[in-house]
Amino acid sequence: MKKLLSITLALFICFSMFINASAATDNYIIDYAEKLASSEIEELEAYAARLENKYGVCVMFCITDGTGDVSADEFSQATYSEYTDNENGIIIVHDDGNKTYSVFSSGNAGEVLTDAAVDSMRDAYDMNESYYGGIYACYELAEEYLENGYSGGYVYDEEPVKGENSTEEGNEKDGVSIIWLPISLIIGLVVGFLIVNGIASKNKSVKMQKNATVYTRPGSMVITGSADNFLYKNLDRTEKPKQTEKN
Amino acid sequence: MSTILEQKCPNCGGAVEFNTGAQRLKCPYCDAEFDIAAAPEGNSNEVEQINWNSQGAQWGAGETEGMSVYACNSCGGEIVADATTGATSCPYCGNQVVMKGQFSGALKPDLVIPFKLDKKAAKEALKKHISGKKFVPKSFLADNRLEEIKGVYVPHWLFTCDAIGNANYKATKVKKWSDDNYEYTETSYFDVYRSGNIGFDNIPVDGSTKMSDDLMESVEPFDLSQAVDFNTAYLAGYLADKYDVTAEESMPRANERIRQSIDDAFKDTVKGYDDVESQNVSMNVANGIYKYALYPVWLLNTSWNNEKFTFAMNGQTGKFVGNIPTDKKAVTKASLLLGAGIGAVIYGLMWLIELL
Repeated sequence: MKKLLSITLALFICFSMFINASAATDNYIIDYAEKLASSEIEELEAYAARLENKYGVCVMFCITDGTGDVSADEFSQATYSEYTDNENGIIIVHDDGNKTYSVFSSGNAGEVLTDAAVDSMRDAYDMNESYYGGIYACYELAEEYLENGYSGGYVYDEEPVKGENSTEEGNEKDGVSIIWLPISLIIGLVVGFLIVNGIASKNKSVKMQKNATVYTRPGSMVITGSADNFLYKNLDRTEKPKQTEKN
Repeated sequence: MSTILEQKCPNCGGAVEFNTGAQRLKCPYCDAEFDIAAAPEGNSNEVEQINWNSQGAQWGAGETEGMSVYACNSCGGEIVADATTGATSCPYCGNQVVMKGQFSGALKPDLVIPFKLDKKAAKEALKKHISGKKFVPKSFLADNRLEEIKGVYVPHWLFTCDAIGNANYKATKVKKWSDDNYEYTETSYFDVYRSGNIGFDNIPVDGSTKMSDDLMESVEPFDLSQAVDFNTAYLAGYLADKYDVTAEESMPRANERIRQSIDDAFKDTVKGYDDVESQNVSMNVANGIYKYALYPVWLLNTSWNNEKFTFAMNGQTGKFVGNIPTDKKAVTKASLLLGAGIGAVIYGLMWLIELL
């Protein structure tokens, strides 16, 4: 009886795994721009599959050189729908040609992968110099958020990533860093000091004349000799600051 | 005792004064007016010797140096004046007197520009000058008191010449470009030479040590086309000094201004460069002549917080100058407020640009 129970349980687990495997998507990484090697894609796909199996959320990433005739929103939504049937999921589309991002989230994914979470994932992607490293870092963060979200750890944002089937333009602005506030203030103080002192200097009107130009006899100036001789030249070469491949 | 001159009215015998509005001599007592050319010769008297013998202390040798003593023709009062004083008023009767010897012979000015603006105009100009300024201490506006106002003919030397100049300049051209990896800056250096002639007419240099040079140069320029031949009648009613800085002593200042003018004028002909720097300017002067002229200046002395402030107005054109104290606290406060405002606007614009 025990043996039968064990066999039945094993069959159930295998069946469950089969069901889960069949529900999982094979295309989590859509590389239209051909930025990734096949081995890299396989590794990332495996990571994404693991997340979907564990948390039931499909996390897709797409790199493209353009969105064709459709908008970024339409493109991300269409791509998500094309490659998965999972109702709970998210796709981050990086338009490498236009240097923009778009995000589409579906179902309950937005409750865990909130605005702030998606932003940090995108930042992690941006900060990596390689596409593979960026997407991998993105998945690592997604896993952390999903884990904490499912275990009731902490809330990343009060508001989920839009409602079901909603889209968000990926190039949303982050605002100006607070570090610019004191810099702006210093610039303002310097400019203000110069303006005010310029006005105050008008209180001093007594000064020696610089020259006697006002007493020049009209039309009396004649240039009798003129020469412009080249002496030498200096060439300075400065290396340009290096930019990352993506930026 | 020296000889003094008083312009007397032939009608009533009162002392006449030069009237700026009418540009003629006018008697303040009977309102009679006279042309300068037809001005009465004045009563020039050799002052009689006073035969009183003093029992008190006598001036020692050298003690009266720099002083001159005159006797007023109207009241006989003794006028003690500076050795350079050429015209003043009697402290006893108020009559205007001219020390004739100060402008006689070789000391006679070639030209004089008569006053065109009167004392009232000078007072109004002072008010306008002070009220139009920012960051002036409020107590200065309230408590500043006009202590003295006087019209002074200031002696000036006028220098005319043809200057021949040579100048060298260090000029640079900067060219920038870049490729995929580097930014390039190419700086080319040139030695630029210019020589030429420039004529200068009547460059004034203050010939009085009593007047501050910067104050006198600040009220420039004067319109010399309105100058007339010197006549002591123009001095009636004003103060006047004879020069105590000679033409030779004034020449270096004229040369300095000529040299700078040559530098500026030649530099303007150096074109097509990103930067031009003067290296060396030399000059020679040909056909140099100088004249002696009296320029009309209103001097206004005020006091505030036990400090004296001197203002000057060009008695011909009305140009008014004079330093006004600045409220440093107000300047600091305004700098901070304006700076904070500009800083906030910059930060706000950055946000706006970011959000657009």
